[in-house]
Amino acid sequence: MKLFIKFDFNAICKKVLETRLSELNIKYKILAFGEVELLEKVPTETYQLLTSSLDEYGIEIVENQKSILIQKIKDAIIDMVFNEDSTINVKSSVYLSEKLGHSYGYLSNLFSEVTYTSIENFIIIQKIEYTKQLLLSTDLSLTEIAFKLNYSSVAHLSTQFKNSTGITPSAFQRIITKRRNMAQQ
Amino acid sequence: MPNDYIHIILADDDEDDRLFFTDAFDELNMSTKVNTFNDGVELMDYLLCEEAILPQVLFLDLNMPKKNGIECLNEIKSNSKMADIAIAIYSTSASEEDIEETFVLGANIYIKKPSSFKQLKKVLSEVVSMNWQYHTNGLNKDNFLMRL
Amino acid sequence: MTKQVFSKSALFLRIVFLVSVFLILVIGGFTYKHISNLSNSTKLVVSTYKVNVELEQVISYLKDAENGHRNYILTRDTTHLEPYLSAREKVNESFAELKEIASHSEDQNENLKTLSKYIDNLFKNFTQTNAFVENKETLTEEFKSNFFEEKIIMDSIRQKIDEMISLENQQLEKHHKQYESNLQFTPLFLYLLLLFTLVLIIISYNRISNDFKNIKLFNNQLSIFHEATIQLENIGKHGNWVWHVDTNSFTFSDNLYRVLGEKPGAFQATLETFMSFVHPDDKDKLAADVEKMMEEKHLPFTYYRIIQKDGTIRHIKGYGKLLVSDEGERRVIGNITDISDEIENYLELEERNLELERNNEELSEFNYVASHDLQEPLRKIQTFISRLEEKESDKFSSSGIQYLDRINAAATRMRLLIDDLLQFSRTNKPDKEFVLTDLNELLENAKQDVAETITDKEATIFSDVLPSVFVIPFQMRQLFLNLLSNSLKYSKKDVRPIIKITYSIINSIEDDVLVKGQQLNYHKITISDNGIGFDQQYASQIFELFNRLHNKQDYSGTGVGLSICKKIVENHQGFIVAEGELQVGATVVIYLPV
Repeated sequence: MKLFIKFDFNAICKKVLETRLSELNIKYKILAFGEVELLEKVPTETYQLLTSSLDEYGIEIVENQKSILIQKIKDAIIDMVFNEDSTINVKSSVYLSEKLGHSYGYLSNLFSEVTYTSIENFIIIQKIEYTKQLLLSTDLSLTEIAFKLNYSSVAHLSTQFKNSTGITPSAFQRIITKRRNMAQQ
Repeated sequence: MPNDYIHIILADDDEDDRLFFTDAFDELNMSTKVNTFNDGVELMDYLLCEEAILPQVLFLDLNMPKKNGIECLNEIKSNSKMADIAIAIYSTSASEEDIEETFVLGANIYIKKPSSFKQLKKVLSEVVSMNWQYHTNGLNKDNFLMRL
Repeated sequence: MTKQVFSKSALFLRIVFLVSVFLILVIGGFTYKHISNLSNSTKLVVSTYKVNVELEQVISYLKDAENGHRNYILTRDTTHLEPYLSAREKVNESFAELKEIASHSEDQNENLKTLSKYIDNLFKNFTQTNAFVENKETLTEEFKSNFFEEKIIMDSIRQKIDEMISLENQQLEKHHKQYESNLQFTPLFLYLLLLFTLVLIIISYNRISNDFKNIKLFNNQLSIFHEATIQLENIGKHGNWVWHVDTNSFTFSDNLYRVLGEKPGAFQATLETFMSFVHPDDKDKLAADVEKMMEEKHLPFTYYRIIQKDGTIRHIKGYGKLLVSDEGERRVIGNITDISDEIENYLELEERNLELERNNEELSEFNYVASHDLQEPLRKIQTFISRLEEKESDKFSSSGIQYLDRINAAATRMRLLIDDLLQFSRTNKPDKEFVLTDLNELLENAKQDVAETITDKEATIFSDVLPSVFVIPFQMRQLFLNLLSNSLKYSKKDVRPIIKITYSIINSIEDDVLVKGQQLNYHKITISDNGIGFDQQYASQIFELFNRLHNKQDYSGTGVGLSICKKIVENHQGFIVAEGELQVGATVVIYLPV
């Protein structure tokens, strides 16, 4: 039998962090997504233990300032895309520079330098990814999804989906459905 | 990331295509490591041995002697050890049916071999970049479908 | 129908026959009774006369006796006593006779007894008187009273006899009257009965002659039918056989012999002789079939070969079915058909079909392999050119670079051609599965494929709700995609493209295009645009492979797109036509069988 699951990456990550930090008796405070404040000085040994135990889950403690900022940009974008309330009528460049306190040009350059992609592209990837999730896990039509994700038209979403993945949304839906059917047999 | 380079494997029986492929990555400067195999049997022998370093992305030509791309795809998909490998089909032809069939069988990427070197570089960098996005941003790999 | 009429008629005739027989028996009975009445009456008359005669005789004997007696009294001569004595005997004889004759009537019996008493008294008196005469005491008072008494007795005898005669006559009269009344009614009744019977017989005759006429008619038809059957047998190479189940015997039709390559009646019609013609390889199977037939009284279609005397092998199809006649006789009626010609034709056709299929397959395989394998070197040429342009361009002269551009353009075009050809040959592959698919969805997919162009050109697509049809989904989507791409590609430069897709179900009689169609109803999907259109005279040419109406500089294209559309529609047993008007637009109509 094969199960298909949906998961909230953030929730998993938060749960893992909470468990590990508690195990090591570290006092902490989770600030925002991807940010943890340690409330007291932690010995190097304990810190190494934490690093390796989080590594098992693919959670990496981001060391330098640049990486931290990149992570913050990503988090902000994910938050923007997945919590559709905050996307209304706000341009992403304005949203990001306001939220992170840096000029959009600086953020954009930094992002491209480190991640092999641009902020715009990253937003598109996240939106398309969300579209995929909605196509597979809800009964929403593409038109409804386009509206939900603040696209000007269904054609726009359709085109962006195809440009980003090379296939149309319906082909995507069909392929994944067939794949699941095959796995179930 | 266990390594700071991206490990890539290509299985293609055509010498010219292998050359284009490695040349393209050489020019891309993406800190990648590329291995090539001459056919499906060679590839599977390598992947199935104990000490093999599994690639992040595997490029499979469909038309290969001895063992073709589809057979390799099936074997890889039935082996849980290789579940994390992103599989890119790398083929001369691209009919809608073929593409859909390989996707259904578990391929993540379908590349119709481009007819210019520039295009090839672009396509390969897109693949690596997109794979990187999936890898680093916790995207659902089951939904990783891409056609170039 | 006729059978029913006949059986009804037979029932009617049977009833009429039974009624007639009954009536005749009734008439016979009445006649017999009548005649026996008549003879009884005669007997009665005879006996009455006999009684009367005897009684008269008794009187006359008594008179004789009285005379003799008186003479004796007068003469005392005993010779006169002789008639007296004989009269006494005769009276007794007559009396015996009377008793016998008159025994049927009680009254007469009573009267006879009384009469006999009187006669006895009379003779007693005579004897007493005679005794007085012998003793010569004739003058005595006693004698006188005796003598007188004789006279009285004699008178009462006479009176009694008269009484008896009149009673007898009375009885005769009464009987006669009764007989007469009988005689009046019986003949009339018998006459009426006879008339009725006659009517019945006439009706029956009518009915019988009618039936006979009908039978003759049916017989005629039957003989025509028989002739036709024989003719049919001859032409169709059929032979009939009948297995009479109850007597386990066979009859074969003439043509059955001919089918076996023999003269009619050339051998005895038995199972064994028939089996001797059957091909040795098929004997066991047929024997098993026949054995089963003997049990189940039914022979389903069976196929076998026979060998004629000259060695020719013929293929036979056989069938048999039990028929029970009205009389309950069971017969399995069967036939054999020589199907050698059909089988040969069929085999030949199948052979040709296979050949055609092989040819087609080879052609499409060749097409596929050729175009697929051509792609590879072509792509390499292009890639190497691109490498040359990139890495070595500084080593070329300007004309050298121009040549490279030309090579590249030519190679690109060739690639386009090969791509389309490949797609065309894929469309040719016959082993596709038909799936019930919502055409709206396929159209939507096609729209998504050209979404970018739609946005770029600001095109509008209006579409009716399309039906769900059994189609090859990939091909149908390709069809929509090709048609939409065409409409978008051949749009006017400064006009926003408007594409209208309409749908209706139509009857094949309503549309000239569908005259050659096999189906009655068709889905009609019309795709019309406001593009550059085309001259109507090219309407059929545009579906031909590699046919183009525009030069390559103005509009890219290989001239394969619409050929693919045509192929796809033909794969779905449909039709596709195009109409166009230059600078107004083009309309493509697709007909798919319902």
